Amino acid sequence: MIRRGDKLEPTSFEEAVSKAASILSNAKYPLLFGWSLTSTEATCVGVELCELVGGVIDNNTGFCHGPGLIGCHDIGVSTCTLGEVRHRADIIVYWGANPVHAHPRHITRYGVMSKGRFREGRKQRKMIVVDVRKTDTAKMADLFIETDPNRDYELLSALRMAVKGEELEQEVIAGVSSEKIEELADMLVACEFGIIFYGVGLTMSHGKSRNLDAALSLVRDLNRLTKFLIMPMRGHFNVCGANEVTSWTTGYPYAVDISRGYPYYNPGETSAVDILSRRECDAALVISSDPIAHLPLSVAKNLSEIPLITIDPHVTATTMVSDVVFPAALMGVEARGSLYRMDGVVLECKKLLDPPHDVKTDVEVVRAILNRVRDLKRV
Amino acid sequence: MSELLVSNGWVYDPLNRIDGERMDIAIRDGRVVDGVSASARIVDASGMVVMPGGVDIHSHIAGSKVNLGRMMRPEDHEKDVESRTSVMRAGVGRSIPSTFATGYRYARMGYTTVFEPATPPLKARHTHEELNDTPMVDKGCFPLFGNNWLIMDYLKDGRLDECAAYVSWMLKATKGYAIKLVNPGGVEAWGWGKYVSGLDEPVPKFDITPREIIRGLCKINTFLNLPHPIHVHTNDLARAGNYETTIKTMDCVRDLYHGGKPIIHITHVQFTGRSGTDWINVGSGAPEIADYVNKHEHAEIDLGQIIFTDTTTMTADGGFQFLLYMISGNKWGNTDVEAETGGGIVPFHYKKSNYVNCIQWGIGLELALMIEDPWRVHMTTDHPNAGPFTEYPRVIAWLMSKNARGNVERKLNKSAHRRLNVSSLDREYTFYEVAITTRAATAKSLGLKDKGHLGLGADGDVSVYAINPTTINPSRDYRLVRKALRKAAYTIKDGKVLVKNGEVVASVPGKTLWVSSDVPQDTYDQMLTNLKERFEDYYTMRMSNYPIGEDYLKASRRFETVAGQRI
Amino acid sequence: MKLTRQLTVPVDASCISPDLLVGKTNREIQTLELWEGNQKVQLCSMFDIDVNSDAPSNELKIRIHGDLKKVRRIGHGMTSGTIEAEGDVGMHLGEEMSGGQIVVHGNAGSWVGSRMEGGRISIHGNAGDFVGSAYRGSRFGMKGGIVVIEGNVGAEMGCWMKGGTIIVKGNSGAFPGIHMNDGTMLIEGDCEDRAGAQMTGGKIVILGTTPSILPSFSFDELREKVKVEEQKIHGPFYSFVGDVTETGKGRLFVKASSNPQLKWCEAFIQKPEE
Repeated sequence: MIRRGDKLEPTSFEEAVSKAASILSNAKYPLLFGWSLTSTEATCVGVELCELVGGVIDNNTGFCHGPGLIGCHDIGVSTCTLGEVRHRADIIVYWGANPVHAHPRHITRYGVMSKGRFREGRKQRKMIVVDVRKTDTAKMADLFIETDPNRDYELLSALRMAVKGEELEQEVIAGVSSEKIEELADMLVACEFGIIFYGVGLTMSHGKSRNLDAALSLVRDLNRLTKFLIMPMRGHFNVCGANEVTSWTTGYPYAVDISRGYPYYNPGETSAVDILSRRECDAALVISSDPIAHLPLSVAKNLSEIPLITIDPHVTATTMVSDVVFPAALMGVEARGSLYRMDGVVLECKKLLDPPHDVKTDVEVVRAILNRVRDLKRV
Repeated sequence: MSELLVSNGWVYDPLNRIDGERMDIAIRDGRVVDGVSASARIVDASGMVVMPGGVDIHSHIAGSKVNLGRMMRPEDHEKDVESRTSVMRAGVGRSIPSTFATGYRYARMGYTTVFEPATPPLKARHTHEELNDTPMVDKGCFPLFGNNWLIMDYLKDGRLDECAAYVSWMLKATKGYAIKLVNPGGVEAWGWGKYVSGLDEPVPKFDITPREIIRGLCKINTFLNLPHPIHVHTNDLARAGNYETTIKTMDCVRDLYHGGKPIIHITHVQFTGRSGTDWINVGSGAPEIADYVNKHEHAEIDLGQIIFTDTTTMTADGGFQFLLYMISGNKWGNTDVEAETGGGIVPFHYKKSNYVNCIQWGIGLELALMIEDPWRVHMTTDHPNAGPFTEYPRVIAWLMSKNARGNVERKLNKSAHRRLNVSSLDREYTFYEVAITTRAATAKSLGLKDKGHLGLGADGDVSVYAINPTTINPSRDYRLVRKALRKAAYTIKDGKVLVKNGEVVASVPGKTLWVSSDVPQDTYDQMLTNLKERFEDYYTMRMSNYPIGEDYLKASRRFETVAGQRI
Repeated sequence: MKLTRQLTVPVDASCISPDLLVGKTNREIQTLELWEGNQKVQLCSMFDIDVNSDAPSNELKIRIHGDLKKVRRIGHGMTSGTIEAEGDVGMHLGEEMSGGQIVVHGNAGSWVGSRMEGGRISIHGNAGDFVGSAYRGSRFGMKGGIVVIEGNVGAEMGCWMKGGTIIVKGNSGAFPGIHMNDGTMLIEGDCEDRAGAQMTGGKIVILGTTPSILPSFSFDELREKVKVEEQKIHGPFYSFVGDVTETGKGRLFVKASSNPQLKWCEAFIQKPEE
């Protein structure tokens, strides 16, 4: 569909492609955003398109698990595939995550209820939950640590101290007594194989990437005494894939500015939410994402005021304010593609049904726009 | 029909015993032929060195831990960029280049084939997706087997034939090229944060020793007639003095050798070539290793030569990588893979002021200079572990010039320099030997019959370097050699000019090379039945999702082998 | 130089540096290129430039007028000379500079003096986050020189700092001195919290209020005065050593009178022997 006046009207695929290509190639700082609910192949083409139009490519990481990546830049990360947890883990910690609701099969497939080569099941494992309230996941825990909101950094610091055997001078930290912190530290140190699964409770509370800095450091410290790992509970089904593709093609996992012909990375400067909040981009392509609905109102408003192209299987708030709309095939149902699980394992999604008539896959749409931009720029 | 003539260059083609002869190389439709018509494109190589395109046998360029390295180190890329052109994609460089940049940088040096040596099979799809995006070179990967649960189960039970069938299934499933072992048994121990020492300590909870794993896979490799020997990163990388483990590893399969090509390839021997009892008295074990290799034809090595620079270490040897973090205090990445292997990443800066780093530098060169048979010593830097592959010209200059080595030696930590033998070694590699160690030998070792040489039928992969072997003295003019090798005058791939004067002028996707090995059907079927029963106990993936189809590879070439009679 | 039009997309103005203007003719300066989004444009397309060639070359002074919020990397890598901006400036001001002076009469964006090695930056207004910090993943932040901010600063000032001095007359956001290794930081106003997180060395002085001290800081003593840039500041100060999680020997001085909520540490003061 193409916007004419204040209405979106049906049009041919070719016309929509032309209009989209024209918008992007005339822009001085276009933003290509989304990529987290589509195939790896689509993101590959997306990076190429971004290079050609001299824009910024970013995905949902920036307001989700970006802090984990930023923490990783400073500390690194000790992690594994999910099977390692199933086979070996005797301590599983959920920090700021509520898998009972957000990842319903996690606990039975990989967590304390699962059965592995070296762990029979629930009796051989302990589950610890750290959260600001007693969630349904916390109700299942062997140990629940209720913390003050936004004080995870302090708690992690104190835990690091306790793991190192240092005295805690303060009696209560983050709403948790120093005795409890020491008890938790003892459990972590005494295990054979432990893991922290963390969620947006840690990434998006006060401290953000520094919470992860501390958590990654804690896990690293624990490896001097036992075996310990950490893993983010990713939300979007292929945000991992978007990070991986963007990393191998540009060197950086998200928020990549290729406006000067080479990749440059600096979240806060080159990340979508920040660019939009400062009204810096003059056109945008959004794919399989609904930023108008999910981002802060002022940011969404800025996005709605620039030429906007959307590729999505659904009607969304974003499609409704767009200037060009491409209905897309549903990945994993109407289109095949590769995607990356939260632990980096690649799965190939199969196509089960044909998409409705005239509906193309994300790869086809992005590639068509890319080819048209090439024609326009005579490259 | 496309024709190209590389004319009048000084050709070094050791596989065809051509040692600096002035001749033409004719290529038609991507293959070397007798002659071409008058309408062929001419590449004038007058006064220049012509070699087959470089074949890199061991370089970490694609896959899960490489990409984690990229993600961990934005500061590695920030200042070293590749800008987009009409033929090149944008990218970044330094020690962990992005995939497009990797291809361009290899091509600029005249390399046309590269192998990624450590692929976790469960994540092989990731490796291939990255290789698909690595242009300019033909490529392949070595799946990891040395800590694989099924392998260890089979070998412990003595079921070698079924194990061989499993290996053949795995190579097909992962589209892999060779059997790779990294710290066999040791990485499974690291799954618990533990270590095994030497070749005979049993792997915790598996009750099999590294020696048994190495021997079992060596037998299987021979039985399957795989083109490349088992490719081994030995145990004990983290031990201060570890050269004995290298020798023991080579020796542990000696009785399995019955003539012909080597049956074991030990990789980056520099890292496991140290003598001494602790880090303060570390020395070079290169003389002892060289002596062993000189006396035993069943083994070959690659160097893993140190470059004094800031680089990134990354191997499947998770336990070693953790110890490197403990020594350096740098950031540390770790990626354990269920039922199969591990991985670790630690940035590292090799310094001339550091005693141990200087010893390491010496070990690599001593190996290259003391091992007499250049066909069994391959030049690598285990990119990026000992240094980025873009520094190969520097290593080659060291091999060719005692002066070049001397310049570095003058700046080394003095105690280290005193302990090394390198200053007493006068040997200087010739262009012929350089061609052996960087293309002819590696291609031969990999069993790539159409690469590493310029005989009839070979792939039209040619590198031309602007250096006249008849007028320059590499020993004295090593800087000119280095400069010429950094920016090939021409890099030709399948008969197409991709690089001219060090600039990329065209891009091709390159092919992924993989091995399809066949075993007796009944054993294969039996293996499959057992595999189906156990697969979902071991993995968090359905068995039907594990094998990779050939259509997953952007372009591919399959090498077929048939197993022998009896294992 | 005077900005002649409104800017929307970011501008990379690393050419606005005395090092790159010195010795150039008027024409050469006018046609210097800079990035406006994905377009390369000439300096004159964005600025009215008045060149006064009487000034001696080693004291080249650039004065810029206009709202330069979108103009980034002014003074990048400069080694001498002066830049004076009348209004606001964008990100990365004076990044990697090793000498010379920058004065901003308005506010500055984030990453002021990032990786600075020498020279002086004065911001009369506020500055954003990451003053004097390292690049992502690097452990090499500001190494030398001095940054003075009259107003407030954002978060993570002095991240991985290795030397030099930062003085903030106003308030600071969270995590000042995170991963600091050496250098001096003075916050005359309040600090949001988490000062000195994961520091291994260096000195942070806070004269205003900070709600709490990290549990990984160990109370050391009550200190009468501290020295910043040769100037003695009177306390008394609660003095802490940390960050213990990094085996750090950094020092955090918090003015006692502004922080009654920290009185608990007086219990740890060693009483003199009777």
